[in-house]
Amino acid sequence: MAESSGTDPTVDSNVVENAAKDRTMIVVTVKTPKDKEEIAILEDSSVAQFKEEISKRFNAKLDQLVLIFAGKILKDGDTLNQHGIKDGLTVHLVIKTAPKATSGSTSQNSASSSGTPQANSSSSASSPVPNASTPPGTGPAIQPPNLLSGFGDLSSLSGMGMGSANFMELQQQMQRQLMSNPEMLSQIMDNPLVQNMMSNPDLMRQMIVTNPQMQQLMERNPEISHMLNNPELMRQTMELARNPAMMQEMMRNQDRALSNLESIPGGYNALRRMYTDIQEPMFSAAREQFGNNPFSALGGNLDSGVQPSRTENREPLPNPWGPPGTAPSESRGTGSSTTTSSNGGTAPSVSSLPNPLGINASGLGNGVFSSPGMQSLMQQISENPQLMQNMLSAPYMRSMMQSLAQNPDLASQMQNPEALSVMTNPRAMQALMQIQQGLQTLQTEAPGLMPSLAPGGIPGIPSTTGGSVAPEGPPPPTQGSNPSADVSPSQQQQQLMQQMLQMFAGGVTTTQAVTPEVRFQQQLDQLSAMGFLNREANLQALIATGGDINAAIERLLGSQPS
Amino acid sequence: MVTCALPLLSDKMAVAAGSGVKVPRNFRLLEELEEGQKGVGDGTVSWGLEDDEDMTLTRWRGMIIGPPRTIYENRMYSLKVECGPRYPEAPPFVRFVTKINLNGVHNSNGVVDTRAVSALAKWQNSYSIRVVLQELRRLMMCKENMKLPQPPEGQIYTN
Repeated sequence: MAESSGTDPTVDSNVVENAAKDRTMIVVTVKTPKDKEEIAILEDSSVAQFKEEISKRFNAKLDQLVLIFAGKILKDGDTLNQHGIKDGLTVHLVIKTAPKATSGSTSQNSASSSGTPQANSSSSASSPVPNASTPPGTGPAIQPPNLLSGFGDLSSLSGMGMGSANFMELQQQMQRQLMSNPEMLSQIMDNPLVQNMMSNPDLMRQMIVTNPQMQQLMERNPEISHMLNNPELMRQTMELARNPAMMQEMMRNQDRALSNLESIPGGYNALRRMYTDIQEPMFSAAREQFGNNPFSALGGNLDSGVQPSRTENREPLPNPWGPPGTAPSESRGTGSSTTTSSNGGTAPSVSSLPNPLGINASGLGNGVFSSPGMQSLMQQISENPQLMQNMLSAPYMRSMMQSLAQNPDLASQMQNPEALSVMTNPRAMQALMQIQQGLQTLQTEAPGLMPSLAPGGIPGIPSTTGGSVAPEGPPPPTQGSNPSADVSPSQQQQQLMQQMLQMFAGGVTTTQAVTPEVRFQQQLDQLSAMGFLNREANLQALIATGGDINAAIERLLGSQPS
Repeated sequence: MVTCALPLLSDKMAVAAGSGVKVPRNFRLLEELEEGQKGVGDGTVSWGLEDDEDMTLTRWRGMIIGPPRTIYENRMYSLKVECGPRYPEAPPFVRFVTKINLNGVHNSNGVVDTRAVSALAKWQNSYSIRVVLQELRRLMMCKENMKLPQPPEGQIYTN
């Protein structure tokens, strides 16, 4: 007559109950790891009703209860009959305590933020292909949404590392935060889309291989293609990328190993060579995907010294590794590209970021991309202070700094690495300008539609191949009130855009109060005297080069085929 | 289903086991089924037939409640246990359905490595599904496992 399952007393009560009601009551033992209770319930009850009883008895909330019977979790919609729960049997109960609440909220966070990484990864998945095949007009159109959607995430991220006007520091902070907060990375990683991508080595390989820059890379560096073709290695790499903790470990190990290497007399050079061969091409390829960096070739010129004429060129330099003429941006200044390619080949891009980040760059979502690239650039810049000075002395930069100082809000946005890469990408800027134009048109058409938007005017943003957009006069003073804190990411994006454009406008107006045409009148005359009859193209080139005639000529010469 | 026959069976089996006779597979599994339904044990593991109509008593489902003070705490891990025709002479196949990061469990499909679990590696016919589940739970409490970062709750292996 063991009472462990309590069958005996229930026989009596069952009889009594049976006599009293039509339906049968059964007594089920509910067992928690600590507790045991016997609960009488109608045989044909549902699990939900059962849980009601249990919550009363155990003083727990309904959503804290998890019932298990015979190795299966009982769902609220099921009935006890369905699972074969009969009189005298035991059901296991787990009462979820507070930790469940926090994990619920983090899963909510990951659900909401995985929305945007999803947009990022899906658009980044599609962007290598469009970059390869579609004409340049559509290419940039795809990129800005890509980058802009990264704003929503990264601007919140940059908010974490605020208070530093030093770009490099911010980069490092972001990097550190990213690495030290596996949540974020794991959120990106756990996005099912990303996971599907990563778990399919063939897909990853295809993605990487279809990127033309990668193809060039692979031709030049057979080791890379070897790595890509080795499925085992790919899988390992993806496992690595998938598991942030593992990656951190690996990075730390590599960091330590590298620092050890550095201390060896000849080791530093070996390191430099190693990174030149492997990492820099990957970095630059990764950077290429997200906009040419004006400093990419600059960094590559470390050994040969700074060439001031290039620093004043606001246009991003063409891909030193790209064959001339494959992309429109490379058709400009082919002369400069050959010099930079020869220099780029020998210059090291030393950074303490180990290879996983290089691989990381080619595979992961947006936010992670620009950081390793930018960081290595920043390191190069910091190594050569002269470079930094030249950078700063460029008139463009000066005006930017001024407007930065005036507008602290903008400064925060500026430090957003995404903003930087967007600003330096001419195609992105052109697209942004078009967006701004569209918004302006919309505003004039339906003024009530977007009250929060104020057109910042169309300042002299450098446009690439003589687009149809003609620069207008100085921006009207109707600057809307933007500084109020924006809630939604789309509003943030718009705000960012406006601020950026304002900044350009501010840059233009602080240095001169006349239109670019007037400003460059003298240069325009010179150009037309030399035989460049396309006035509009001349003007664009002059605007892009900031009045530098020689550079403008180079641009014009390079862009003529187009 | 078969519960009406159980009380008699268990008596017979107790006698049979005591005298060293090999208990037939189905009898053993029926006893395990009954134990699962009665909640024999400390209540931290649960098991039962996957399909109540499964006459071969081959496919089972198990559940392990993550032990407290480990990273597995508050989580429930669902498993599939397959008792082959040679059970209980041969150990069952065990695989996790809920994603888990545990030494001895394949990351890709949740299959439990027989060599990693001593109850499976040194299987004896007196062992049962419960023993295997409890051993897996003990593994979760080992130093080398108790802090392993885990995938988010609720994910399952798709293959």
